Formats: sequence, structure tokens, C-alpha cells
Amino acid sequence: MASDLIALSDISKIYTVGDQEVRALDGVSFQVREGEFVAIMGPSGSGKSTLMHILGCLDAPTRGTYTLNGEEVSQLPDRELAGVRNRLIGFIFQSYNLLPSFTAVENVELPMIYGNTRDRRRRAQAALERVGLKDRMDHKPTQLSGGQQQRVAIARAIATEPRVLMADEPTGNVATRQGEEIMAIFQELNDQGKTVILVTHEPHIARHATRLVQVQDGKVRADQAIVQRVLARDWLKLPENVVSGALLNL
Amino acid sequence: MTPLDTLRFSLRALRDNKMRSSLTMLGVVIGVAAVVTAVSVGQGASAGVTNSIGQLGNNLLTIIPGSPRVGPGQPGQGAMPQTLKPADADAILARCVRSVFAVCPQVRSSVVVKTGAKTWRTSLTGAAPSFMLVNNYTLARGRVLNTADNDARARVVCVGKTVVKNLFGNVDVNCLDQEISINRARFHIVGILGPKGANTFGQDQDDIVLMPLATAMNRVLNQRYITLMSVQCRSADKIDLAQEQIVSLLRRRHRLSPPFPENDDFMVLNQAQLLSIVKTIGNILTLLLAGIAAISLTVGGVGIMNIMLVSVTERTREIGIRKALGATETNIRAQFLIESALLSLLGGMVGVGVGSAVSYAAGRLSGWPIAPSATSALIAVAVSASIGIFFGFWPAAKAARLHPIDALRRE
Repeated sequence: MASDLIALSDISKIYTVGDQEVRALDGVSFQVREGEFVAIMGPSGSGKSTLMHILGCLDAPTRGTYTLNGEEVSQLPDRELAGVRNRLIGFIFQSYNLLPSFTAVENVELPMIYGNTRDRRRRAQAALERVGLKDRMDHKPTQLSGGQQQRVAIARAIATEPRVLMADEPTGNVATRQGEEIMAIFQELNDQGKTVILVTHEPHIARHATRLVQVQDGKVRADQAIVQRVLARDWLKLPENVVSGALLNL
Repeated sequence: MTPLDTLRFSLRALRDNKMRSSLTMLGVVIGVAAVVTAVSVGQGASAGVTNSIGQLGNNLLTIIPGSPRVGPGQPGQGAMPQTLKPADADAILARCVRSVFAVCPQVRSSVVVKTGAKTWRTSLTGAAPSFMLVNNYTLARGRVLNTADNDARARVVCVGKTVVKNLFGNVDVNCLDQEISINRARFHIVGILGPKGANTFGQDQDDIVLMPLATAMNRVLNQRYITLMSVQCRSADKIDLAQEQIVSLLRRRHRLSPPFPENDDFMVLNQAQLLSIVKTIGNILTLLLAGIAAISLTVGGVGIMNIMLVSVTERTREIGIRKALGATETNIRAQFLIESALLSLLGGMVGVGVGSAVSYAAGRLSGWPIAPSATSALIAVAVSASIGIFFGFWPAAKAARLHPIDALRRE
């Protein structure tokens, strides 16, 4: 389909460990359209992280083709791949990956420096305001909570106005309520039209998306729309003890 | 990404690791300081020696007996060639008026001097009265030796302060009118020479007994020939003319026949030639010192490479983050290369400062005209920056090649 933002076709990733071949991904194919909110789920070792790295152009597939925004990117040389990462993708990591000696606003500016973006200080400030960190701009990562650090990372990802946001276990390292706040930001961004792809192993987090892709043993096992979508906005209105209790009962 | 952004990143990384950056720089600081000091001390020493040769006397030619074919009379070669006579000196003074200002024929020998119970081996110089003028000696006490002393073959001497000290126990002893004996003949001390110190070759010029030429030749050494002649020219630009005139005069007087200079029985030593030899030696010395210093600069460069390699390993995660956010291999390589070049360049500039300070101190202590040269400072800084780029290349390439996923996985 020509209107697909992302099209994976028969993607395989094979690692050679010693004299053994490990198939982390084995013929994965699916498409993502503009404006979708896709959750990728799977047990550990299922290949979901490898899939995310290939989607994020951080790793190249062994076989198969990956078309992003109409461009075949699976075999691009380093220089152009770096450009794709910089312009088209906003990547959010489980462990935030902020530079520890840079302040929040400097961290948000970083990709714009590599992209030669004009007006980057103002854009970085706007992005931080958007994630609710207006008064934390000049704090170093060590002076911020886990949830706040992840929000800086989200600001860094959206400041370049990429075509797609990709988040690898974004709530994995933060407290429940802060995780919910982060999911609220993703849902808000998605409501405004941003395409979001999320990897998680928590069913509750996955249910914030609109579509669920389940991966196991390097293959796509299921791909369906989410029926009972969780709205983070509503959850955040509930009292703290109810939120935790509800999660435990899932 | 603009070059200015890269420079900012590099500066920032250096600032975030102040301690490590300064310690890394220290290697280059020492290397460059060594180069700057070595070159300026080498040049200063060479200039100092050149000056002290100048102090031997101005516009001086030295004529010694012997043929260039066999070389000058030397210990172990048997007797001194006996070809120069006092009359040759008189002839030069009489015939080369336009170029020559003074001629001083001399005999020299090593003798034992006695007074009372003390003895001292010293150098005896029998010379014409012009000796003190030509060789820049001064008189501390008493009187100089004059023509009348020479004509009368008088038993009078002037002594240097080293001789006074060793014969009379103290430099300040007034030994005028005292008697000393040389080869069992007695001599009267009529003058004490002013202190002159060591010459270029480390010889103590105060260890001297000076007597009239005729006295030394007839009463002590019993010889008819002289050891050497010092010729003082009228000015520096007359030296070549003087040398030419003296050579042709002596060839006529000695009835020499060609080929020349093979058949000459004398040699004219030119102070300018001596200077050029000393300068050559000085240059070799400077090169040697600079070579050793260059080695230490290289060691400093290896130190930078070492630390940059450690830094790449330590900052693997940072490199991964930068790559994930869109940094190309070129961006990363440039950042690390500029970091090591900056380290080295800053180290080089501090090194020039330290080296200049050490050079000034060395100049003060030695009395040589040591001054740090701007050229050597510029070269040292340029070389140190190149060293930073050269030794930074491998670590930078290593950083650039890191795979983003591998880099991010590392804690």
C-alpha cells in the first residue's frame, strides 16, 4: 500500500553466536499507517526489541525490505541512515539515554544540532513545555525523577518533529503513576495525529494503543485492533490506591 | 552540524573531565617545554661561546709553524717545526702596515715554578710587549713588561692570579718584587695580571707566567724559533687582506716554492674559521637536545592516544546516544579528533610558556644570552597540534565505527 508510513516485508535478523545461528526475527511483515498507535508485545526473547531497533534504523535487517516514508532504508549507508534517524524518527528508550552533563534543554537540543535545525533553543523550550517540564529546563538529569527524565527524552524525540515516535519500554523504569503520565503524553500526541509505535511487555500499557502486534519466536503471532482502550487521562483522575489496585487485578 | 557545534562539543567534553584533561595535557606540556628550552639553551650556549671567542681578542689571526701537509706540531710527533723566527714577526709589522695593527711573537712551554717550599706547574709564555693588548689581558698591580726588558733580556715576569694563589697561598698576597725560580734561574715578579677566567676551551687563562720574549728564548728555553704569532688586524674587513699579505710575505722570506699550500712551512688560523667550527658544534648540540625533546613530545602524544582510547571506551554510551539521535560517523570522528587536537594544542601553548620561563631562568643562571625564539615556539605549537591529530586519529576512528545498538547496550 502506497499510503503506508512504514512497511516491513519479510524482515529477518540472524545473529551468529559461535557456530550457531540465532534467528531473532524470522520473516516479519506488517504495515503501519500514518496516525496509528501501535503496541508491540511479546515475552522476553521474542525479538520485539530487535524489531524495534530495526524500525528505529538503529540496526539493519539481515534480509527483507523496510520502507519508511516511501524510502527503502534497510540497506542505506551510515551517513544517510543517521539522517533518517535524525529527521524521520523520534526514539524513546527504556533507560532515557540522556547525556548526564547536559541540562534538560541542552539534551533536547542535541538532535537538532545534528540536524542543523534553526531556532533550536526556542523549539527545545517549547517541546519541554509540551511535556510539562517548563520549570525544569536547566536541571541536569540527576536532578530529575525517572518520570521527568523520560519526559525530557520525549521532548527530545518530538522537538525535531519526526514522522513517527518509537518508544522501547518507555514506562519500564518509572513508577506506576509516572508511567501513566507518560502514556497520557503519547495518547495526546497521537490524538494530534502523530504516529506512535510502542514496545512493552505490560498488557495494561499496551492497551493504551489502538492496535496490538504480538511477537513470539521472531514471528508475528497476532495483529488486531484494541477493543477496550485504556485512556490515561481518565486513569490519572482516579485516586492513587485505586490505580495501583486496578493494575494488580489485571 | 556546523564546525562550531563540533568545537563546542569537544570543549565541553574536555571541561567535563578537567582533571583528566589537564593530566593528559601535562605530557605535551613537558614535551613542548623541553623542545623550547632545548632549542633556546642550545642557541644561547652557542652564542655565548661565540662571544667568548670574540673576547680572545679582536680581529685576530694566529700564525703557527708547520705544514698543512703534516699538520701543526703536536705532542708525540716529535719536535715542534722550527720555521718561525722573531724576525718574521718584525717583517710582518713592517711590511703589512695597511692591514696589520700589532704582531705578537710568542714562545710557550710548560714549566715548573718554585718559591721557597712551594712548586707549581704552569704555562710559561714569553712574548713581545704587545701581548697584553692583543690578548685582552689587564694589569692588577705593578708594571707591564716593556721593550727595554726585552732588549736587556731582563729576568722579570708578570704572573696570573692562579700562579699567585698556588705559590703564595692566597690570591691577595702582594708578591711584587718576590723572586721565583724557573729551571733553577731566578726571576723578579714585577706585575700581577688582572683576572681573565677560563677561555672557551675551559683553559684557565690566569694560570700563566709572562716574561719578555728574548728572556724566555735565551735564558729559559734556549731556542731560536717561536711557538706562534698573534696578529691583530686593523679592522674586521682587513682580516682577509692581512692573511693574504702575510702568507705571500712569509713564502718569500722562507724561500718556499709551489705547490701551495702543500709546501708552506706555516699556517694562518683565522678566528672566523674557528667561529664557524664552534657554530657547527653548537648546531649539532642543539639538534641533539631537540631530538631528545622530540622524543618526549612523542611520548606525550602517545599519552594522549592512550587517554583518548580510554575515553572512547568510557563514553561508549554517549557515542551510542549521539548516533541514535542522528550523529554520523563523520560527526563523531570530528568531535574526538578535535578533542585530542585541542588537548595537544593547549598543552603546546602552556608548554611554550613553561619552556620560555625555564629558558629565561637558565639565561640568568648561566650568563649566556638565552632567549626563547618565537620560531621554535611556533613550530612547537604547530607540531603539538599535529601530534594531537595524528595520535587522536585511531581513537576517533574507533569511536566513529561503534554500532549504535552495541554502544547503547554497554553500561
